[in-house]
Amino acid sequence: MKMTKIYEGSYQWIMYGRDENKPNNIIDTNQYIVRTANRCLLIDPGGIELFAPMLAAVLHHAPVEQITDLFASHQDPDIISSLGLWDQALPNAKLHAPAIWEGFLRHFGCDSIEYVAIPDNGGVIRLENVELKIIPAHYLHSSGNFHIYDPNAKILFSGDVGAALETPGAPMYVDNFDAHVEKMRYFHQRWMPSNQAKRNWIERVRELDIDVLAPQHGRVFKGDDVRRFLDWFEGLQVGTAV
Amino acid sequence: MRKNQTNSQFVAVASIAAELSAVMDVAKEISLAAANAKAIAFRAGEKAKGFQPITDFINELAKDTIELVNEINQHAMQLYQLTVDEYRMTEAHNKFELAAKYAKGAQYEQSLNAPRLKAQQNMQDCLRQFNAHIAQLLDQLGEVMHPARAARVIAANSRIEASQAGEYLQSLQAVAESVDNAAQVIHDNVQRCRSALSFITITE
Ligand SMILES: [Fe+2]
Ligand SMILES: [Fe+2]
Repeated sequence: MKMTKIYEGSYQWIMYGRDENKPNNIIDTNQYIVRTANRCLLIDPGGIELFAPMLAAVLHHAPVEQITDLFASHQDPDIISSLGLWDQALPNAKLHAPAIWEGFLRHFGCDSIEYVAIPDNGGVIRLENVELKIIPAHYLHSSGNFHIYDPNAKILFSGDVGAALETPGAPMYVDNFDAHVEKMRYFHQRWMPSNQAKRNWIERVRELDIDVLAPQHGRVFKGDDVRRFLDWFEGLQVGTAV
Repeated sequence: MRKNQTNSQFVAVASIAAELSAVMDVAKEISLAAANAKAIAFRAGEKAKGFQPITDFINELAKDTIELVNEINQHAMQLYQLTVDEYRMTEAHNKFELAAKYAKGAQYEQSLNAPRLKAQQNMQDCLRQFNAHIAQLLDQLGEVMHPARAARVIAANSRIEASQAGEYLQSLQAVAESVDNAAQVIHDNVQRCRSALSFITITE
């Protein structure tokens, strides 16, 4: 599992991905943590196959008992099918996840972890003195879907938005936006169902000050590539399977 | 290896539930046969005098069986839940061990010790409970065999009584026959349950 620090201040954002031991037939995912002095938030902690390597990777940055919060942007298996295992590893943790998916996500096993249901209009996650905003991103692609914005680090974790289907071992950052577009097109056109939802999201996200756009698959966008991505996504027709 | 064992537990517990629901159906059939026999014996009057207490007895046996099967079913449900728990705990235990292997040299490697220990204890607790439940279930299944055996004896008596019932001979004999068959089916089903169960008793 590769580890990349994407923000370093009084707290850290770390990205994990490109796991070499991952079976080839499951999609590669990026996991993120926000690490403050005594707490740690896992963002889209990943599928059941990834649990052991992910837990081991996090242990480089936080002890188990300080993993206090999990966030699931939506209900997909690549996001959170590991829940039943985290549930047995973390005695005092909370899962922040869409309210509408509670009855579904509990199928993975959620007995000792407290399910904090995020209402449709979003909310905040507080980690010590860090305040993270939960931004609605419904229908992108899931009907109950959220992103996380850190106004201090200027990072937007954007879930499946900005995702790319990459070859194994691809670099962590987008280095050539025009070349990268082809790896994103099909994913967005096929998995994102609604042009209206897309426009609504772009409008709201354009008002945020973003240095880093961090998706759950593929590469991270930095600086001008963030704006390039928003422009490209705005012009893209999605929901193309019907 | 544990994983395969857990899979076969799921199958065994599911097949027990299936066998039990068949036992339940048969017990209901016996109960119906008893009611039927009662009506015939009533019509036959004096000629089937010896048959009347037998029908009550058959009815009691059917009731006992239904009650027992209900209890066993509840037990089997608990066993299923334990199998699910055990599956999850074994899964967690294995993944924690794997994580510990991957985390060699990580700064907070030691913090995994507590969850590892707990997972192992949970798994062992679960196994212990599971085995205790199986032992109880085997006892209960043994109890179901008793009414079934008694029913066969009664069926034999019924045949003798039926032979004195003149024109009712055939219908009463049919009752005796169906009780006998039903008892045989229950006996076989329960036997299958027991052998399925004895397969999945687990060594820690
Ligand atoms: Fe998804
Ligand atoms: Fe995804």
